[in-house]
Amino acid sequence: MLKIDNLHVTVEGKEILKGLTLEIPTGEVHAVMGPNGSGKSTLAHVLSGRPGYQVTGGSVTYQGRDLLSLAPEERAREGVFLGFQYPVEIPGVNNVYLLKAAVNAARKHRGLPEVDAFEFLSVVREKMRLMRMDESMLSRGVNEGFSGGEKKRNEILQMLVLEPRLAVLDETDSGLDIDALKVVAHGVNTLRAADRSLVLVTHYQRLLDYIIPDRVHVLVQGRIVRSGDKTLALELERRGYDWLIGEAA
Amino acid sequence: MSTALLARVKDEYGALCERLPASVVGTERRRSALERLCEQGLPATREENWRYTNLRVLERARFAPALTPTEAIADLPAPLEGVARYVFVDGILCASPQVAPDAGIAVSSLRTAPTAAMRECPSVAALPEARLALLNDVFATDAAAIRVQSSAGTQRVELVFIACAAAQVGASYPRVQVTLEPGARLALVERHLSTGDVANLVNCAVQIDLAEGSQLTHYRLQQTGSRTAWFDTLEATLAKDARYELLAVSTGGLTARSSVHVRLAGSGAEVALATAALGDRLQSQDTFALTEHLAPRTRTEQTFRGIASGRARVAFNGKVVVREAARATDSRQSLRGLLAGPEAEIDLRPQLEIYTDEVRCAHGATAGMLDETMLFYLLSRGLSPEVAQRLLKWAFLEDVVSRIELPDLRRRIELEIAGQMSEGASLKELLG
Ligand SMILES: Nc1ncnc2c1ncn2[C@@H]1O[C@H](COP(=O)(O)OP(=O)(O)OP(=O)(O)O)[C@@H](O)[C@H]1O
Ligand SMILES: [Mg+2]
Repeated sequence: MLKIDNLHVTVEGKEILKGLTLEIPTGEVHAVMGPNGSGKSTLAHVLSGRPGYQVTGGSVTYQGRDLLSLAPEERAREGVFLGFQYPVEIPGVNNVYLLKAAVNAARKHRGLPEVDAFEFLSVVREKMRLMRMDESMLSRGVNEGFSGGEKKRNEILQMLVLEPRLAVLDETDSGLDIDALKVVAHGVNTLRAADRSLVLVTHYQRLLDYIIPDRVHVLVQGRIVRSGDKTLALELERRGYDWLIGEAA
Repeated sequence: MSTALLARVKDEYGALCERLPASVVGTERRRSALERLCEQGLPATREENWRYTNLRVLERARFAPALTPTEAIADLPAPLEGVARYVFVDGILCASPQVAPDAGIAVSSLRTAPTAAMRECPSVAALPEARLALLNDVFATDAAAIRVQSSAGTQRVELVFIACAAAQVGASYPRVQVTLEPGARLALVERHLSTGDVANLVNCAVQIDLAEGSQLTHYRLQQTGSRTAWFDTLEATLAKDARYELLAVSTGGLTARSSVHVRLAGSGAEVALATAALGDRLQSQDTFALTEHLAPRTRTEQTFRGIASGRARVAFNGKVVVREAARATDSRQSLRGLLAGPEAEIDLRPQLEIYTDEVRCAHGATAGMLDETMLFYLLSRGLSPEVAQRLLKWAFLEDVVSRIELPDLRRRIELEIAGQMSEGASLKELLG
């Protein structure tokens, strides 16, 4: 699904990713962990095409294509989804408008007709129930005045409605209470499928109790310094990152 | 330049004065308005509060009104449900609603029904910003006079003004006078359109008189054609506990200038002015809004949202004056501009003059570009940059548009704005 090879990325003249290599096979769920400032969000943003990140070396291949040559909206339409660490508030843009616009943009891209408004709404309602979100949130501005946890749930709602091929969820578990964590994990688990890959960026092994990853990677100072199975997360929980930081240098 | 123009105003008035209806504006008053205009001169761009108005269009225009309205207008927008509609072509009434309005309200054309008394000699022309109202006094060909009685219940009226004649043929002078008796309520929709793509000159004057405890909600839509020069002067006086809500949406015209003066003359009077202006290509959209607090416990709320794209210039000059007697007043101002093009221009000027203590003021003015993080968020969901930008511009205006309480009207304004922003109509689809 996704192949990142020796990726170098600079932000405002400062190199953040320093030769990152990572492969996510189709149908797998991978977790990326690492200390604050190690470059996890940078990686997520680069994958989604956010301006301001300069790729100075390496390559990213998504479903056999050069991902980096696509505009952000093209990546989204091709099935790449980024769950933001800090979801953006857009007052005045209705949540349901955005959902519908996003779905229709992807459908148009695939040569499909627009969704039926009525059917669409019932699908959205069903997913909202799954995310335990109040229906009134549909008619509110995108993330406008949402609590931290509500914003994260809204990100997952968007993902559920868009049904991406590759989802990168940047700290979707941060700021969630224990019940909300289960709700979000359940939402993510419903999307697990043989033709879909998920990347979970997280600081907490707890999330991985609910969404069991196929692989766990540790990102330190712009590189993947260690990969393993789900037990690696437990080991990190016990030992912290110090023992790996030496390896990065 | 101004003197040459004034000489033309005089000549054109002299040639026409016999034919101007005295029931609309008395001959005496027309003459004195002309005199005062000559004393004060026409507005000029070098004046502080006219800096952003394109006044050059006056040089080419004919001031005399187009006296013969063209044939009935074919493609009027559908009437609003439950709202009595009156249509004026080049300032002159040409269609009234089939069903007569309520007994508690009188809507008349002063050209044909001169009985309705016009409030004599208002203070309008005292202000240098209101000089173009004098020009309306000189040439007005008709006036819509609305009077609502105390006991009438909430009334709804729509006035549609259509500019038809080309500027070389004659100007149009829409004129409106609203009087609410104590406790009366009115929702007034005032809409300005033009036919085809003719260069028209429109010079509108509106006078509003709100008696104690009355309430007026006033929707003003300026949607004239892309070559129209639209000028406007509105004066409102509020008695004790009266409330005036003005929601203005200006999208049309090549150049549009509105001068608004609200006098909070009675204690507890309240005004909420919300303006949305959209400028694109070479358009200029300029609003001067003055609220004068003359009595205690009066309140002002000014909201402006303006978007300038292309090479457009969008300006809002919001001035609040708190006079000595106006203790314990409250004034809020939120002015925001969005620059949507490298060659566009936004000018926001909040001004505050206070001559008393005990005043609460919250003022803010910001102009900037589209928020990059919002834009990226929308792109990351697959929206094209064009749609994303339009959506954000749209959202920017929501603070004003969402206040429109007539659902039918609100929807139409939303569609109008969507249409103004997009050729591809994708935003319209979103709204559907
Ligand atoms: N726009 C920017 N300008 C300068 N430095 C930046 C910018 N964006 C990110 N950085 C720096 O890049 C480094 C990596 O940031 P990034 O957000 O990717 O970390 P992270 O691993 O997601 O951290 P966290 O766990 O705290 O979310 C940090 O040192 C950060 O300060
Ligand atoms: Mg991060």
